[in-house]
Amino acid sequence: MNSMNDQRFFDLAMKVIVRQSSDAERRELDALLAGHPELKTKFEQLRGEARVAKEVLPLLAATESSAGELPPYARERLQTKVRQTFGRPVESRRPVLWGWRWAVAFASASAVIVLVWVGVFRQSQPVIQIAMLDLAGPTRGGGAAEEEALRNTWKAATVESFSKASEVEAWEQTWPAEAARPQVKIIYDRTAGELRVVGRVKGRTVQRTILVENDLARALRVADDFVREQTKR
Amino acid sequence: MPVSRTMTLPDLKALRRGDADAWDEAFDWLWPTAFAVARSKLQELLPAEVEDVAIETLEALVEKTAGVAKVEELKSLAASIAHNLAVSRLRERFAAKRGAGKTESLEARQDVDGNDCEPVAAETPLAELGQAELAELLGQLQRDLPAPQRAVVADFFLEGLSYEQIATKHGLAIGSVGVYLKRGLEAIRRQGAKHPKLLKELEAFLR
Repeated sequence: MNSMNDQRFFDLAMKVIVRQSSDAERRELDALLAGHPELKTKFEQLRGEARVAKEVLPLLAATESSAGELPPYARERLQTKVRQTFGRPVESRRPVLWGWRWAVAFASASAVIVLVWVGVFRQSQPVIQIAMLDLAGPTRGGGAAEEEALRNTWKAATVESFSKASEVEAWEQTWPAEAARPQVKIIYDRTAGELRVVGRVKGRTVQRTILVENDLARALRVADDFVREQTKR
Repeated sequence: MPVSRTMTLPDLKALRRGDADAWDEAFDWLWPTAFAVARSKLQELLPAEVEDVAIETLEALVEKTAGVAKVEELKSLAASIAHNLAVSRLRERFAAKRGAGKTESLEARQDVDGNDCEPVAAETPLAELGQAELAELLGQLQRDLPAPQRAVVADFFLEGLSYEQIATKHGLAIGSVGVYLKRGLEAIRRQGAKHPKLLKELEAFLR
């Protein structure tokens, strides 16, 4: 084929591959393939390359993306990874003014600060409630270990078990009367394999669903990060 | 609403020292790439996993600074890690669901879609490449596929625009659209051929 026909074959092949061809263009390509059997291999090659193009182009575009911001709750987790990887404390971002004069001043002020902090800290701590839903009932294995994992993640929380979705729905609608503190409900649905976090924080509702995918520990970490981020002062 | 920002490149030496501020800067710089890749792979099937995969990508990158010569390479590496993590999530998820008999198989989904050119998200020829190899391919394509060609190829394959629409959008003669597409695919073929695993995948696809 000459170069003009070569380009025409390419254009027809492209349109057929992405299903943009008209009936006439499809017939024209079929005629070309019938008259030049060697083009069949070329056509399949183009189809394979188109497949790679569709996969690789979003990645190339992503390397040039500057849209979107790192969620604040992720930053602490990532800096922890930096500390673990490089094996030493992260350098302080502000000069630390330690010295004996500061120590004396600190000692006299610290008692007052601690007393105030305890009150404020308690007020800012979220009320966390946890529900485990297992439609298969309590006889299925693994429930106790999972409940323990939930308790270990949120030590001050209460954990309740349900075997009916309607009961969890009712539980989810009932919120504690203590409206001054952030309130969070965590629903672990074993059957669906998901962890759902619903919260009321400063008059707004927050929620997130995390898929467990055989890794409850990871899902709990993600949920805990989310709770901390949403309820921090 | 997405926020676009111009930022300076993080200092690779500071990153290798574990400097917290340099890493903060790097996380801000790399996040859009990791998130965009995770979203492109998972948005349709596992949208709740997008953010988590992007964060895991950045965690994995913390250990990779020793293997890059220039800080810019971290972007390609981020895209590559996010892609492979997302594909793993998809495979795990659907393997688990198939095992539990909860949902249709990937193959069934492909049949329903009936589109040869649109592979199921987890069945991608790129999945055979390791992180470093995929990052290298992306770096090569960034150099070998000029922005105008890349834009035309993306409009055709990703946006589904016709030759006529692309010509209008980019102010090209309609005959030039096919030429741009052809050169773009040639660049992908040229760089893809340097990666035996990808070549093998494509050959398997031809059979």
